[in-house]
Amino acid sequence: MMNALKICVFTVLVAAFYSYVSQMVPQKVTYPPEETELGADMTTEELVVAGEEIASGKGTCLTCHTVSGDTGGRFPDLANIGLVAADRKEGFSDVEYLAESLYDPNEYIVEGFLPGMTPISDPPIDLNDQEILAVIAYLQSLGGVATVTLDTELRWQSEENSAAAAASQASAAAGPSAENLSGEELFAMYACGTCHSVTEPTPLLGPSLYNAGNDFSTAELYEAIMDPDAVVAEEFTAGLMSAQLNATGFYDKISSGQLKTLVDYLAMQKGGS
Amino acid sequence: MKWLARRLPAGSLLFLMLAGMTLVAFWAPDAWAQDAAGPVEYRSFPVVGSRVVVWVIAQLHLMFGAFVLAVPMFALTIEFIGFRNGDKRYDDLAHEFTRLLSVSFSFTASLGALLTFFLFILYPRLMEYLVSIFDWTFMLYACVFFLEAVFLYSYYYGWGKMPKWLHLLLGLGLNMVGIAIIFIADSWLTFMNSPNGIDAEGNLLSTWDAINNFTWMPINIHRLIANICFGGSIAAAYGAYKFLGAKTDEERAHYDWMGYMGNFIAIAALLPLPFAGYWLGREIYAFSQSLGIALMGGTFSWLFIIQAVLIGNLFLAANYYLWLSMERIHGAERYRKFTKWLLASITVCFIVWATPHSLVATVEEARAMGGSHHPILNVLGVMSAKNTAVNVLILTTYLSFLFYRRANKEATVSWAKTGNIVQFGILAAVVGVVIFLGVYGYFVEASVRIGLSIPQVGLVLFAMISITIIDVFMFRNARILGPIEWGKIPNRAQYALFFIAITFAWTMGLMGYVRSGIRQHWHVYGVMRDTSEHAFTPTLGYAANVVSVTVLIFFAFIAVVFFLSSLSGKKQLEAEGGASP
Amino acid sequence: MNILILLAACAGLLALRFVPKMNILGWLVGWWAATFVFLRWGINPPLPTSIQGMFLAILTLSLLAYISANSAHFRFALDRAVAFATEKKYTVALLVTLILLPCLVALRVYFDVTEGPAPPLSSRTIHPPPPVSIEVAGRTIDLVNDDNPYRALETEDPAAFAEHVANGRRVYYENCVYCHGDDMAGDGLFAHGYDPIPANFQDATTIAMLQEGYIFWRIAKGGPGLPSESTPWLSAMPAWENFLTEEEMWDVTLFLYDFTGHRPRAREDHGGGGDGH
Repeated sequence: MMNALKICVFTVLVAAFYSYVSQMVPQKVTYPPEETELGADMTTEELVVAGEEIASGKGTCLTCHTVSGDTGGRFPDLANIGLVAADRKEGFSDVEYLAESLYDPNEYIVEGFLPGMTPISDPPIDLNDQEILAVIAYLQSLGGVATVTLDTELRWQSEENSAAAAASQASAAAGPSAENLSGEELFAMYACGTCHSVTEPTPLLGPSLYNAGNDFSTAELYEAIMDPDAVVAEEFTAGLMSAQLNATGFYDKISSGQLKTLVDYLAMQKGGS
Repeated sequence: MKWLARRLPAGSLLFLMLAGMTLVAFWAPDAWAQDAAGPVEYRSFPVVGSRVVVWVIAQLHLMFGAFVLAVPMFALTIEFIGFRNGDKRYDDLAHEFTRLLSVSFSFTASLGALLTFFLFILYPRLMEYLVSIFDWTFMLYACVFFLEAVFLYSYYYGWGKMPKWLHLLLGLGLNMVGIAIIFIADSWLTFMNSPNGIDAEGNLLSTWDAINNFTWMPINIHRLIANICFGGSIAAAYGAYKFLGAKTDEERAHYDWMGYMGNFIAIAALLPLPFAGYWLGREIYAFSQSLGIALMGGTFSWLFIIQAVLIGNLFLAANYYLWLSMERIHGAERYRKFTKWLLASITVCFIVWATPHSLVATVEEARAMGGSHHPILNVLGVMSAKNTAVNVLILTTYLSFLFYRRANKEATVSWAKTGNIVQFGILAAVVGVVIFLGVYGYFVEASVRIGLSIPQVGLVLFAMISITIIDVFMFRNARILGPIEWGKIPNRAQYALFFIAITFAWTMGLMGYVRSGIRQHWHVYGVMRDTSEHAFTPTLGYAANVVSVTVLIFFAFIAVVFFLSSLSGKKQLEAEGGASP
Repeated sequence: MNILILLAACAGLLALRFVPKMNILGWLVGWWAATFVFLRWGINPPLPTSIQGMFLAILTLSLLAYISANSAHFRFALDRAVAFATEKKYTVALLVTLILLPCLVALRVYFDVTEGPAPPLSSRTIHPPPPVSIEVAGRTIDLVNDDNPYRALETEDPAAFAEHVANGRRVYYENCVYCHGDDMAGDGLFAHGYDPIPANFQDATTIAMLQEGYIFWRIAKGGPGLPSESTPWLSAMPAWENFLTEEEMWDVTLFLYDFTGHRPRAREDHGGGGDGH
């Protein structure tokens, strides 16, 4: 009986030991891929962001590829792919080369690597044509400049998808791209004028920006927009602006390019001088 | 108690299981409530969730199945050896191994029934699909299972009551049927990993193609070998259990020998297992690079560090047992001095194998290293180093066996000295070349590097075979320095046997998890998505806890098996007046 | 790899040979200690503690296996343990051990509990790949092909070069010294408030393995300009393009190398996947 007890304790201890060892390694839960929303009117810059999301998420690209500039990985490093893509295959533009490597990866194998990537348009990864365009945009942006839009047609695309792309083309043409708005338009679009005046030195709900270019440095303007409560001028309510901007979804919508345009616009307001 | 032992097996156990299941079903009836509209895709299970309950039951079923299929294989082999050389000991040992079978078989069947019920209740959509693919194989499976029962019980109860050749033939039939069972069941689960024989929408094209998918044969072979390992280690644990409770020297001697034989079988089968695993891995890559990367590259790469700890422990414990075993042999003192070198080799290989590629580091440490890769340790984290470590580990264990083999022998042939030098030369050359190839792997491209593992494996096999052949001839008519005193072994060695058995079971649980886990959010990879709430992949720590609980449940069941088997064994020993080796 | 430590550990083990009446327990302790010293201090950059712990755990298992794989050794060890627990001459030592052990455990628990919050472990890229070109004050700077425009002066016109370095010195001590420190070891007055801490330019793995263009990029764009793989912890470094001229930034780059004695990484032909940075 004593032996049986000892063996029991021993068994529990060994199993507990292995459980303990397993707690020492990184603990990560992997969730099924989320669908990245691709709107028909996305700009190229937005596509790059969406493409990056797909590349690290649903597309599982970064499991094998690195984007670090280190060579010698399992699959080719993508740090400069936007730069080298155009020279990889004769007669292929960078978009065509990237498209082929995604739809038909084993057509061209980078020297020193083994074939083995699966076509990402097929299950299990199963990206649709729009998603692949986003990934191409992202890849172009790595070391180069993205040029594709959701309207770009590729000969690898299936037919129904190109029809869908044509449909989206119409809707995409309808609205102007938010990226090309001027600072003034942005100021109006995000309703900054409700609280801040740029034409009069009188404060409204928030301080006047009539003389913003002289009063604030660019860095202070950035801070005042992105973190309004960091410095609040006297006699104004802290938290009001951040609450307002959060409510209108300003922080989700604004791109770094737009932000720069907006700040530049404000920096030009030198009404006092 | 005896009454219980006679009555409990087979039918009554199955009945108990089903009764328990019904109880569970009515325990939380809300959980079973279902939408009237549309076909039900999933049902939930209270407390632990449907995934864990199926997971644990499937793993338990698999462990018992592995045991029940493996024991007849080596029982038959041992019986055949006994039949050929007329040594009664072997026949008794084989009979004793099969004694573990009858209760285990009932457990296997009950767990299998439970698993089937749970799958059909909790995962109706998946099961409906699988049935549409594999319709007739389920029927075949039921028939084969029935045959297995017939063969198994006639093999066990017919022991010594029929002509030996007929009995051996029965054993052969039992093994054939057992292999058929595992092959059919494998086809279902490998289909889920690497579906084949279907069109893009998942409709069936050919059932045979679905069976004969990419990973079917590799899994079959891998499981057959692993089953023998597992069965051997459990049988050895039985020997250890009996040894610890033994009252007389005869009993101790007998069960020491039984434990030794079980362990010998387990370790002998363990040596080719990494190669079979390697083949399986390659086939998974061949089927789908994504699946392969999910296995080796993503989150699961850390699972293989845990596996390295398990296998390293296995090799360490196996060698440890051999070194302790040498204490019962006169003349083994001569080899004692090598222990520390063998141990050093095992330790270094263990360390190399368990070194991860990207390290767990705090912010300061990572900063000091300039990233998550250590500039020096990085070298040990890659495949080249690990392949080399495994090969050297296998050779070291082989060397321990060799020392054990010749522990009480002194070669009398005239060329003994030359033979030793040749053996040593082969070993040194092979180790040298294996390490050289490992280092060389760093300087060539990945495509060449992968190919290098084949000459490594080939060389290790060559060394083991050639050295064994020389050894056999060299120690013919050898002078025996002293007898092997069975039973004269410390209790620690028996705990080492338990340790090996638990580690094997745990490894099986872990690798079963990864085989199933690499499908991630798919029921049938790339064909049928898992849309249930359990589609995510849990953390390794969570999976390990489930594995630990499964292993503990398994050993609780095994304790019952051991207890019942020893009751019937007692009766027989009393009747025969005690069996001695 | 620190050869001196390795040699010291080996010498320590060798010395054990000459200790009279050395028993097996002493040997095991010796081996354990030597390995510990080597793993702890003998490898540079230091191993993460998780790896040290793993290696030592494996070694401990092996050593325990060694002592118990031989009944003579095992009995000896047991005898010593029993003697330690029962013999009178060990009473004081035994008491000390019995008191110290729980104290050590308590201390460990105390440290674990009082440890401040640590950022999550994640594979953050320390040196993210730079963009191909950046725009500073309306001018595009090609980071791949352009060198420091004033680097050539080093050989062509040492006097002018020294002037640029001196200007860089001024810029450094006006702007950078607060975080990067007096001797550029990343330990300035404010350094300890940041995560990640400011770069240590004396270290061989920072500016010594980077090209000047990379340094210029980091100075000009600062923390806000870091690509997303360097998250979750954004550097607090300001984007100096807003405060310094292009020439000042190149000058301070010259000064960094001049002061630390490092040389910028040589330019390589870049082909295949990525290029070095």
